[in-house]
Amino acid sequence: MIAFTVIGGYLGAGKTTLLNHFLTQSSGRRFGVLINDFGAINIDAELIASRGETTITLTNGCICCSLADGFLNAVDQLLALETPPEHIVVEASGVAEVNQLAQYGHLPGLFLDGVLVVVDVETLLEKVNDRYVGQTVRRQINSADLVILNKVDLIDPSVLKACFEWLKQAHPKVRVVSSVRCELPLPVLAGQPMHERRSEFLFPEHAHYTSWNHVLNDPVTREQLEFFAEGLDATVIRAKGTSGGPSGSGLQLQVVGRRVQITSMNNVGLGTRLVAIGLAGQIDTRSLDALAAQSFGGAR
Amino acid sequence: MITIFRARTIITMNPSNPCGTHVAVRDGMILGVGTYDEVKGWGEHVIDETFSDYVIVPGFVEGHAHVMAGGMLQRPYVGFFDRPLPDGQMARGIKSYAALITRLREIDAALTDSDEQLIAEGFDPIYFPDQPRLNRHHLDQVSTTRPIFIHHANGHLATANTAMLKLNNITKDLQIEGLARDAAGEIDGELREPPAMSLCRSAFREIQRSNMTELAIQNFAALARNAGITTCTDLGGISILAPNALERWRALTIDESFPLRVAQYNLPAMPGATADFESIAKEFVKLKKSGSERLRFLGVKFVLDGSIQGFTALLNQPGYFSGEDHGQLLAVPDQLVDWMLPFHRAGLSIHMHCNGNRTQDLAIETIEALLKIAPHPDHRHTITHAQLTTQAQLRKMAKLGLCANFFTNHLWYWGDQHYEITVGPERANALEPCASALREGVSFSFHSDAGVTPLGPLHTMWCAVNRVTPKGRVLGPLERITPAQALKAATIDAAYQLHLDHEVGSLEAGKQADFAVLHDDPLAVEPMVIRDIKVWGTVLGGRVFKAA
Ligand SMILES: [Zn+2]
Repeated sequence: MIAFTVIGGYLGAGKTTLLNHFLTQSSGRRFGVLINDFGAINIDAELIASRGETTITLTNGCICCSLADGFLNAVDQLLALETPPEHIVVEASGVAEVNQLAQYGHLPGLFLDGVLVVVDVETLLEKVNDRYVGQTVRRQINSADLVILNKVDLIDPSVLKACFEWLKQAHPKVRVVSSVRCELPLPVLAGQPMHERRSEFLFPEHAHYTSWNHVLNDPVTREQLEFFAEGLDATVIRAKGTSGGPSGSGLQLQVVGRRVQITSMNNVGLGTRLVAIGLAGQIDTRSLDALAAQSFGGAR
Repeated sequence: MITIFRARTIITMNPSNPCGTHVAVRDGMILGVGTYDEVKGWGEHVIDETFSDYVIVPGFVEGHAHVMAGGMLQRPYVGFFDRPLPDGQMARGIKSYAALITRLREIDAALTDSDEQLIAEGFDPIYFPDQPRLNRHHLDQVSTTRPIFIHHANGHLATANTAMLKLNNITKDLQIEGLARDAAGEIDGELREPPAMSLCRSAFREIQRSNMTELAIQNFAALARNAGITTCTDLGGISILAPNALERWRALTIDESFPLRVAQYNLPAMPGATADFESIAKEFVKLKKSGSERLRFLGVKFVLDGSIQGFTALLNQPGYFSGEDHGQLLAVPDQLVDWMLPFHRAGLSIHMHCNGNRTQDLAIETIEALLKIAPHPDHRHTITHAQLTTQAQLRKMAKLGLCANFFTNHLWYWGDQHYEITVGPERANALEPCASALREGVSFSFHSDAGVTPLGPLHTMWCAVNRVTPKGRVLGPLERITPAQALKAATIDAAYQLHLDHEVGSLEAGKQADFAVLHDDPLAVEPMVIRDIKVWGTVLGGRVFKAA
């Protein structure tokens, strides 16, 4: 299964900056990035391994592919590669219906890792009321698993507060993180690959984000995982987990914002491991402990 | 060698010489129109009597069609309305599910390869409001073994039978939103929007591919010829996006037996997407220079929104009459001037797809901004569809020199739905406001948007003249125009929009000998039968092409 991420957001919000983070800080993961305009993406010449008519291959194994010939053709082109990417990231156009693009993440062979919508904090309140794009921008935000409120360094704190308040009021269920130049750690932006080993559960140290970990010796049920995921509050940006029995088969949990996916998978180690990522100072590890106890009461 | 064609009547659309009985042609060029005495003096000639019982009008100019019109008819047609086929036969409209199943059974029985998928075109659920949605169980009555895919007329929906779903491993655990389900949560076979439709990869690919084939282009040209069209746009061509399609176009149109002048307006990028428009415009200019007699590259097409009946057109207040507003702009308004400026500066004409009037406001504002940056007195940029054009917009368009290309066929094909469902009575009556455009001085033409509706200028004219709906309404009688005004829009004014009015669109000395040959005079018959006039065929650059 190949992970699939949609990056949406209106013009100038910072989508391309975000894409560059995927490409240049891929931490060894091979991202396939689908973009409309090669010209707009600013890749260091040293990073470019080769350039084809519709693709650019990077030295770190990532690949950019043009959307000029349509979305499905671009995806199929990536899937047909000798070594297809592990994770496909598509940059939606500024006025795209991101929810529709996100549906491609449910094609067989792919799984939807998340819809990230970047918002320029300086223009948000103006754009959501714009007569031409207001509806579109609202729909984009409403479809987001995670809204990235970008350029917060450029703004008066009162405006930032007003943005948060508007978002909370207009889209109460949407998870929001703020950023400067979309600088967010990869584990916030992308779920971990399926073939996860225990060591990769460790969340890198980061000034603004922190993680909560939980380990049980026994497997848990799908219902228990669902209960746990539904109980996560808005301070949790992402959560993931695996749970396996003695046979090696088990379950995987992926949570990004409101999106909860529980899938069956093989080769899961015995026991249950969970991690949640949230904003430092906001995520409440004690209530997460309590939620875990409540969810998995019987298991140890 | 001079040929003098004799006709019952020749209508020239040349105001200073409006009619005649004879037209003299040398090397594909008109020498003159008038009486025999007036044209015989050009020299030694033969008289061609083929059309002596027929009426000659200027070859029709279709300002908005797509090669898809020919592509889709490589497959069986199962739409609600009759549809002319390239071979001259008529595919009869399907008025009930029972008739649909019967038709599909016939097609199934005629297929020899038992594995071959059956893809049919043109079904539209909007005409079956009292029926449950078409689902796989209906189609399973046709076959439980042959994969069947019904591609709906709006292009956004499809219905598959159980065998087709199985073939593509489409199971109920797939989470794609567009996978319609019954009350029990089982997949019912309706696939909404491209992500879900693309699950049936075999059918979806076939449909995509079929618009790029040689047969698609030949069908397209045959349909145009059968309808009396001699110059036809392919508005939204992909010659820039898919250069291999371009080679096919060139190879076919170089042949003198190709019965059509094609005016291609290409897409510069996928709708809504940013691109390096500066360098793309340069490619357009190069392409324009490479045009030939039967293949021209005149300008660029920008698709700016969706459709009214799909509720994806962006409307001004008070919005949609009923149904949920999914209005969607396919352009970044803050960038639109930058997107279009390179084309405008290069002297290319810009055609903007606007179905909603809010979108049209944006198009008008954008052109106004372009003209302030780079004056272009004779741009003839065009708003195409322009269905909900308001009076204020017409006044502004007249000032800016913008043309309108009205989708008059909507008055017939969706007129009742617009009245009852999408925009309500007042705005349905004001759809395609031809009379107002005349009054305000906005140059306009009509279109079929084929394959959305069939190629047929006599039909688009008939709609503009009568404004009648299938349920018998007359939508906005004050917006009706006369047959002569309609013929002007379908010929010389359409040519004007394409910057081709010095070459085609009227029958004048020095212009192309492009005729539509009709069994009757559209200006003399009862207005209600204009669409029933039979087309004998066309003459293109002096060559005779009989309709199939
Ligand atoms: Zn069209």
